[in-house]
Amino acid sequence: MSTWIPLWMHKLASPPTFYRVAGAIRPWALALALLLGAIGLYGGLVLAPPDYQQGDAYRIIFIHVPSAWMSMFIYAVMGVAGFVALIWRLKLAEVVAMQSAPIGAAFTAITLASGSLWGKPMWGTWWTWDARLTSELVLLFLYLGVIGLYHAFEDRRQGARAASFLAIIGVINVPIVHFSVVWWNTLHQGSTVNVFGHSKMAWDMLWPLLVVTLATKFYYAASLCARARTDLLDLEGGKDWVRKIADAEARP
Amino acid sequence: MAERVPATVTTACAAMLRRDLLLAWRQRGDLAMPVLYAVIVTVLFPFALGPDLALLQRIAGGVVLVTVLLAMLLALDAMFASDIEDGSLEQLLLAPQPPALLLGMKILAHWLTTALPLIVIAPVLAGMLHLPTAAMPALVLALLFATPLLSLLGAVLVALTAGTRRSGMLLALMLLPLCVPVVIFAAGAVAAAQQGLPWLAPIAWLAAAFILTVVLAPLACAAALRIALDS
Amino acid sequence: MEAMTAVCATPLLQARQLTFHRGDEPVFAPLDFVLHTGELLLIEGDNGSGKTTLLRVLAGLLHVSAGTLHWRGAPWQRDAVAGDLVFLGHQLGQKLDLSPRENLAFATGLHGQRAEPSITDALMRVGLSGYEDEPVRRLSAGQKKRAALARLPLLPATLWLLDEPYANLDRHGIALVDRLLESHLTGGGAALVSSHSTVNFHGGEPQRIRLHG
Repeated sequence: MSTWIPLWMHKLASPPTFYRVAGAIRPWALALALLLGAIGLYGGLVLAPPDYQQGDAYRIIFIHVPSAWMSMFIYAVMGVAGFVALIWRLKLAEVVAMQSAPIGAAFTAITLASGSLWGKPMWGTWWTWDARLTSELVLLFLYLGVIGLYHAFEDRRQGARAASFLAIIGVINVPIVHFSVVWWNTLHQGSTVNVFGHSKMAWDMLWPLLVVTLATKFYYAASLCARARTDLLDLEGGKDWVRKIADAEARP
Repeated sequence: MAERVPATVTTACAAMLRRDLLLAWRQRGDLAMPVLYAVIVTVLFPFALGPDLALLQRIAGGVVLVTVLLAMLLALDAMFASDIEDGSLEQLLLAPQPPALLLGMKILAHWLTTALPLIVIAPVLAGMLHLPTAAMPALVLALLFATPLLSLLGAVLVALTAGTRRSGMLLALMLLPLCVPVVIFAAGAVAAAQQGLPWLAPIAWLAAAFILTVVLAPLACAAALRIALDS
Repeated sequence: MEAMTAVCATPLLQARQLTFHRGDEPVFAPLDFVLHTGELLLIEGDNGSGKTTLLRVLAGLLHVSAGTLHWRGAPWQRDAVAGDLVFLGHQLGQKLDLSPRENLAFATGLHGQRAEPSITDALMRVGLSGYEDEPVRRLSAGQKKRAALARLPLLPATLWLLDEPYANLDRHGIALVDRLLESHLTGGGAALVSSHSTVNFHGGEPQRIRLHG
């Protein structure tokens, strides 16, 4: 292990410590996610005024936009964790990368579904080959590729390393795809609709959006903690610390 | 023990290339498969869409490109399969040469045996769909850059799946995001040529991507094989 | 004279507490051994005791999980070792559609050599005269093994890692492997040979390690 990694990070990366810390973080993160989510959605769906052009249809952005941000944020986390997993062969990084993938894929799917629901009243069609939507679709395929590759291996750690490599290739690929799709759109003069417009968003629309975004971040943290904990127990099945936990749970 | 002769990289690369081409020649029946597949798919389009000249002309470039890429995907899965099965890949990794270079030779051999026949047949397929002759050079040039890109990128992904139970569908899923830009630029060049617009810019993008990939992909391929075989 | 002894004293391969983990389970218990040039090391053990895994670790195909491995006194590095080592595994690394001659030409080519005439000699040595240009596919299991063994004397490697070289061979074949090993060792080479049964090696008493899964 490299020496420049601070000691506390090194300690945190040991499975038993992470298991304990993640277990402590999870309920708080989940509670914050639910609370902020409720506040943000109340602000967005009830308090915020209807849009003068789109009426109430725009309110789907309080789901759509935070999901879209999360889909990219989680991919970035996965890429960084995958990089660490490949360079330092850190078990925790493998776990974080691989357990992030399904959460990210879910957010991407929500983005696509809410985008197409929004597209119907906005553009009169469920799907449009808009640069942003197309890139998001490609992102979903990247996530599915990573998940598929991870599960194709019998050795899970090896699968995690291979899938991490694919995730890193994807990090390079996403901007290229976005660039090429934008170029393709100008070439074909498609129905490029500017989703957000250039006008500044009103404050009573903006704050719920930011609060929901924060809620999704906490939800991701809570979900990742839970997934990583179960995965660590599974991976470290034979170790002493897992046995201790199992004994403690078995005791009435 | 044999005399110690300085190992030369060129001899090794030549041996690699010669062996793979020889193997392809011994199984030359397999070489026809991707071509046959491309012909079948292309022929089905007019039956599905009707023999309307204007419509076929409009889709010709795109259909031929996608067909060629799918035909290549069909052959991609086999790139390392037999080498892993019979242990030649281990020998390759143990040779005193940079593995990336030897893998590059393997990819070259694969491109020569699967993509080159497809490029040769592509103008015929495009002609069947009434692609104007003026757009042919753009199509061939686009394929000349797009197919090696696909071989190189595909090789990295095939290497990643090397340690798994073989699954062609997974490979397709992994390759799709990578080949979206390739398809866009290649088809863009053909479409521009068809409309009488300048079409060199997208080809130049493809060429730039090709040069970058030809350097990086063999290295990535070697790294991926290390990961996939190290269990 | 002193320099000579110093060179001879540096072991070709030295392992200290060497292990390999699959998942978190060690495949074999920590191993210590020293191999000098001119020496043979037999690895014995039942099926599944980790012989193949050990050889693959030593070849550099698998990562060392714990312990150290030194090559000529320096920590094991791919660039230093590649080319000075041949590995003959269960999978023989032969293309079935090529002839033994073509397979050998490729193997020597990978090591940067052109050795057309010596290939015929090598094939004669392993008793495959007359089969040089037959596709390997048509050879029997024992003949395939012999064709793979022909690679050993052709390559300029000091260390041979042979995984079950005696499998599939008849009495003459076993004698052939012993002959190849003897001439390799007297020529300043070294070898690690795995076998699931106890081998009687005629060229002096080799070192032995027993692996327990």
